[in-house]
Amino acid sequence: MGRDGTKHDMTDLTKSSGIDDPRVDLEAVVAERTQALTEALAQKTALLHEVDHRVKNNLQLISSLLLLQNRRAGDPAVKASLRGVLERINAIATVHRRLFQSEDVERFDVSAFVRDLISDMAGLSARDDIQIRLDLERVDVAAAKAAPLALVVSELLSNALCHAFPEGRAGEIFVGITRLGGDFRIEIADDGVGLETSARKLGFGLTIVQLLCQQLKARCETTAALPGTRVVVQLPVNGAHS
Amino acid sequence: MTEQPLEVLIVEDEVLLATELEFLVEEAGCRAIGHAMSSDEAYDLATTFKPDLALVDVHLRDGPTGVEVARRIAENCSGVALFMTANIKRLPADFAGACGVIGKPYSEHGMKMALSYLRVCLRNGRAPGRPPAGLELAPVFAKRWGAFDYPLVV
Ligand SMILES: Nc1ncnc2c1ncn2[C@@H]1O[C@H](COP(=O)(O)OP(=O)(O)OP(=O)(O)O)[C@@H](O)[C@H]1O
Ligand SMILES: [Mg+2]
Repeated sequence: MGRDGTKHDMTDLTKSSGIDDPRVDLEAVVAERTQALTEALAQKTALLHEVDHRVKNNLQLISSLLLLQNRRAGDPAVKASLRGVLERINAIATVHRRLFQSEDVERFDVSAFVRDLISDMAGLSARDDIQIRLDLERVDVAAAKAAPLALVVSELLSNALCHAFPEGRAGEIFVGITRLGGDFRIEIADDGVGLETSARKLGFGLTIVQLLCQQLKARCETTAALPGTRVVVQLPVNGAHS
Repeated sequence: MTEQPLEVLIVEDEVLLATELEFLVEEAGCRAIGHAMSSDEAYDLATTFKPDLALVDVHLRDGPTGVEVARRIAENCSGVALFMTANIKRLPADFAGACGVIGKPYSEHGMKMALSYLRVCLRNGRAPGRPPAGLELAPVFAKRWGAFDYPLVV
């Protein structure tokens, strides 16, 4: 029965369109649509990979440029600044290197890139008298949070490596990542000289940490570790701190 | 140590990358013997100088010819290739005969570690430990060098 109550003669219809089974028509339409969608998805994925490829190559180019410039710089102050920029670019690069390497492009294993970061930074510092102890649990965050998080860890680790152990003083740096209810917790602790309590100066490094923690809705707490310094960053995995 | 330094060919069409990489190669105790920007240049230099190691970018001046460069180096020269690419997943499963890949963007320290590690592998025919962060070995080479005979340290 048709909607208007009239009775359609299906045999007539199929005869006139030259098809024996009306379902064939529908199947053809579905198949066509599916193919169009599949193609669109493939195209989108290809474009995404193309952009990813360019981002990675450009990051490589930026760090090579900075390294080359650093080789030519004579002034130690200029070299130190360039090293600082390089270190920050490298933190971002560490994240991008791992992007698209796993199947899941939305989530990101923090411990994996923190491990890479530590290997690079400890290696470059060339301080055999500083032991690094790790306790890294697998924690995934949204890809968008990975780069700011890497920058925070990089600044804190850089401080522990540069300030906690003046030439001649040996010690240990601990980096821990654990889940804590709905949050996750990053701890960077050293048993070095400790922060001067009198005039706590905020350099560029700790300013970056402060700003990014705001962005990440994370809490950052610095305490005296006696001896040394302990910084704990607590980050809500989903949503914000109340 | 009076051991000959590893001779390294750089196959990379981005000149600034290649220039910096030459410095890194030298700092890692190897010798940079040349730089090619296209597949033809790479074959020429590889057959003339017979490098121990060729660092090969996948995208060269004449297109995505790096994979073929690696394959020809593996088949016709005595050395091995190591890919440097931003797109690790697009490499063939057999790594085209290359010993592995270092992902771009690689770090200064990561590249140096990879070079020192490969120097030991190539000289001794045996890995000194697990591959350093950032370096992924081709399964055939990981097996040949016993790279995973070592316990995982965390
Ligand atoms: N783990 C630490 N142990 C001892 N002192 C520290 C530690 N972390 C930070 N400090 C002190 O706090 C100061 C501010 O650190 P901040 O990271 O803001 O700047 P910076 O490290 O001096 O320079 P940059 O801007 O390059 O990071 C440091 O100069 C140092 O004196
Ligand atoms: Mg700092």
